[in-house]
Amino acid sequence: MPKKLFLLDAFALVFRAYYALIRNPRITSKGRNTNAQFGFTNTIIELIKNQNPTHMAVCFDTHAPTERHTDFADYKANRQETPEDILSAVPDIKRIIEGLNIPVIAIDGYEADDVIGALAKMAEKEGYEVYMVTPDKDYGQLVSENIKIYKPPYQGGKFEILGPKEVCEKWDIEKVEQVIDILGMMGDAVDNIPGIKGVGEKTAAKLLKEYGSLENVLANAENIKGSIGEKVRAGKEVALMSKKLATIITNVPVEFHEENFLIKEMNKPALKEIFEELEFKTLGKRILGDEIDGAPEAWNGSEEAKPKKAVTAQMDLFGNIIEQPETLPIAIGSGSDEMPTGADKNINNTPHDYSLVQTDAEINDLVKYLSTFNEICFDTETTGIDANEAEIVGISFSVKPGEGFYVFCPEDQAETSRRLQFFKPLFNDASKTWVGHNIKYDMLILKWQGIEIAGNTFDSMLAHYVIEPDGKNGMDALSEKFLGYEPVHIEELIGKKGKGQGTMRDVEPEKIKEYAAEDADITLQLKMVLLPKLKEREVEKYFMKWKTRW
Amino acid sequence: MKVLTAMEFEGIRIDEGFLNDYSKELEKEAKAAEESVYAQAGVRFNLASPKQLGEVLFDKMQIDPKAKKTKTGQYATGEDVLLKLASKNKIVDDILVFREFTKLKSTYVDALPLMINIKTGRVHTSYAQAVAVTGRLSSNNPNLQNIPIRTERGREIRKAFIPRDKDHVLISADYSQIELRIVAAISGDENMCEAFKTGKDIHNATAAKVFNVAEKEVTKEMRYKAKSVNFGIIYGQGAFGLAENLGISRTEAKEIIDNYKKQFPNIQKYMDDTIHFAQEHGYVQTLMGRKRWLRDINSANFTVRAFAERNAINSPIQGSAADMIKLAMIKIHREFNKHNFKSKMLLQVHDELVFDAHRSEVEKIKPIILDCMQHALALPNDVPTDAELGVGENWLEAH
Repeated sequence: MPKKLFLLDAFALVFRAYYALIRNPRITSKGRNTNAQFGFTNTIIELIKNQNPTHMAVCFDTHAPTERHTDFADYKANRQETPEDILSAVPDIKRIIEGLNIPVIAIDGYEADDVIGALAKMAEKEGYEVYMVTPDKDYGQLVSENIKIYKPPYQGGKFEILGPKEVCEKWDIEKVEQVIDILGMMGDAVDNIPGIKGVGEKTAAKLLKEYGSLENVLANAENIKGSIGEKVRAGKEVALMSKKLATIITNVPVEFHEENFLIKEMNKPALKEIFEELEFKTLGKRILGDEIDGAPEAWNGSEEAKPKKAVTAQMDLFGNIIEQPETLPIAIGSGSDEMPTGADKNINNTPHDYSLVQTDAEINDLVKYLSTFNEICFDTETTGIDANEAEIVGISFSVKPGEGFYVFCPEDQAETSRRLQFFKPLFNDASKTWVGHNIKYDMLILKWQGIEIAGNTFDSMLAHYVIEPDGKNGMDALSEKFLGYEPVHIEELIGKKGKGQGTMRDVEPEKIKEYAAEDADITLQLKMVLLPKLKEREVEKYFMKWKTRW
Repeated sequence: MKVLTAMEFEGIRIDEGFLNDYSKELEKEAKAAEESVYAQAGVRFNLASPKQLGEVLFDKMQIDPKAKKTKTGQYATGEDVLLKLASKNKIVDDILVFREFTKLKSTYVDALPLMINIKTGRVHTSYAQAVAVTGRLSSNNPNLQNIPIRTERGREIRKAFIPRDKDHVLISADYSQIELRIVAAISGDENMCEAFKTGKDIHNATAAKVFNVAEKEVTKEMRYKAKSVNFGIIYGQGAFGLAENLGISRTEAKEIIDNYKKQFPNIQKYMDDTIHFAQEHGYVQTLMGRKRWLRDINSANFTVRAFAERNAINSPIQGSAADMIKLAMIKIHREFNKHNFKSKMLLQVHDELVFDAHRSEVEKIKPIILDCMQHALALPNDVPTDAELGVGENWLEAH
């Protein structure tokens, strides 16, 4: 089997990951932005999973100035401040890399590309296939038959592998060594390398075609006609310095001990800890198998078979050596919709009193009981998400935390309608306030049953929206965030999203009871924690105004 | 909440016959455009494939010697690229027509009938209250916000939305320049407030100021440019964005913006004040007091901070407009209930409300709708709000 070494340019990848998600950032329940950690983890996992590396290392820049800074004061001087969220992400990223048992390399006085270049050349001599993982174009100068650039996928695209042929085509040059000649002439705005004023990529390539190297271009500057000649003559010194700045230094005091770079078993407890801190639930599970706490979760937007497959591939990978690549697209930017973790309470370890209500006598008792409360939380269970088409399967109520009732509504619509009529006086009572999560849906379901709410409403989804318009509003997410409680997931009842998913109609009422009564219970508890938050953020007046009128 | 529930419950009637015919018509015209493309290219290929299209346009026909390639090595054939070439090449025009018609057909004309509810025979759009961070409602199945209005063929789709029966007509009521009025009101800029108070065409008035000509002498082009700046301000656009939009140089765009800021000094002040407020408090708020938190407003990184700053300027404007139309809807809903009208409020799209109006009630509800809209939320600095109203046999006619 060929020995494949992957060398990652950490900061280049981290920046890209951060900006890829900037419009739709991932924020943890504690308010941290984890774009960089998330994107970087995705990239490295995808590499391990799909590219069959045998060896790997991640290279970082250090704070120490490099030779380039001492040579040219303006080198990288145009760089903006690094976003705070990236700075604070770096320690986490290092922990993740260490958890994966991959070496982190940083050498004072050298940039990551120097270190990577040096390691790449050494490994090449020892018969490795080397991939430099980076979006950075400068690396083109290092490419050879056995050293290539691996450009990770961006925004749902495909990864690219750039060898000598691709690099030469990209720059329109004869050999990769000319990349620095090109950069010397055209400069590089990203690193604030000046280049020759007025000479761009096209002109540089044309000059190189004729003269072969920057030095030769300069030597023949007197013969170059027109304004280009003038520009070249004026920019001689700057060009030579620019070329030097753009040259990756492969003479770095670093050694390539291949056993240190070997892909090893990951340190699962360490990864588990950091993933839980960062609230990477789905991703964490994908990497660690089911070792992250909590119930299995829907695999976002893909068919049923996928999660199993992914887990198997993962096991193969870190247990043994992988045989064939598993093609699992984990593009940066696809921003999977993860739930915050950190919730250690759930229905199995939390006392609760949920009852199923079916007979007329039971219903009568329930109505009587509910009528003694001014504030009632309720939730409907139905056959679908379109409230204008869905059929009601049941309705749950809660008036005290930990307590809930589930009223079963049979398929026979006449019977369902008859049962719901018992509740009509309650809903028509203008003195009652009704609490719900996305209550408009439930109101619409009731309206189809000829029932309208006369009193006020409190919608925990809207309350949270007013508190935090940019945040996630799903009940499950809010429950985990504010109550530390992970509710029963609907997939446990009706299966995962997709063709095979059933409806609530197919589920035993006794089983729905736990889920539905819990929903009403949790929504009520959410109301209790969100109300003070509305006050705290001084948006309560605004919220209440709508509550009574809308 | 009750208002939206009622609207979603109501739904709106869709003219399936019209959509069927329109679908066929669009198909025919798309086909004709496609054939015309092949005839001009002298070759048949898959027009839906950007790769093949790029090869035909730029390799075979060489209509643009400077054609750009995308990262994947294909020619770029996106709408922006083609639009620039359209004026010179009929084939590009035909391609654009083909694309527009195919999209209209699949996304709206053929999709709408599938959304009809079996029980009611109507389309019930569903409003999401907590999706758009600005506070605006968004809608699904169908997404009314997306129905195209810029092209004639796109607007035609509104013809499919029709009254309940022959006893009803549709009424559409639309706020006029609501976001700019809010800008004027919040900033208190005298020149802009004055223009609204005296009922001037705001873009015309802006143009006169910016280009320093008499209002009568404003040309179409000046007005267009002024309009772009006005909207650019709302969306926090800079010289670069304006130049892109108008196809002018960045220097010219900068000149226009500088002039604008000079003529409407309080607008610049509002923008600065809002950003300062956000930096200090961590949030901005609408006229009603709805807040939006901006965690990146103090970032040292320019890009990250600029993004938050744009949101700081834009959120109070869009958010207040959103609050206003919601308040209007509540008022209207109450008035309709009070009078026991048969007419119903059906849709809310952007700054517009659509009603199923019983013919006998049209004259009664018109002033009620307008009054509720105009007095939903009083703007500071006495800036008046204005709404326009139309009646018709379908949504297009009413609009």
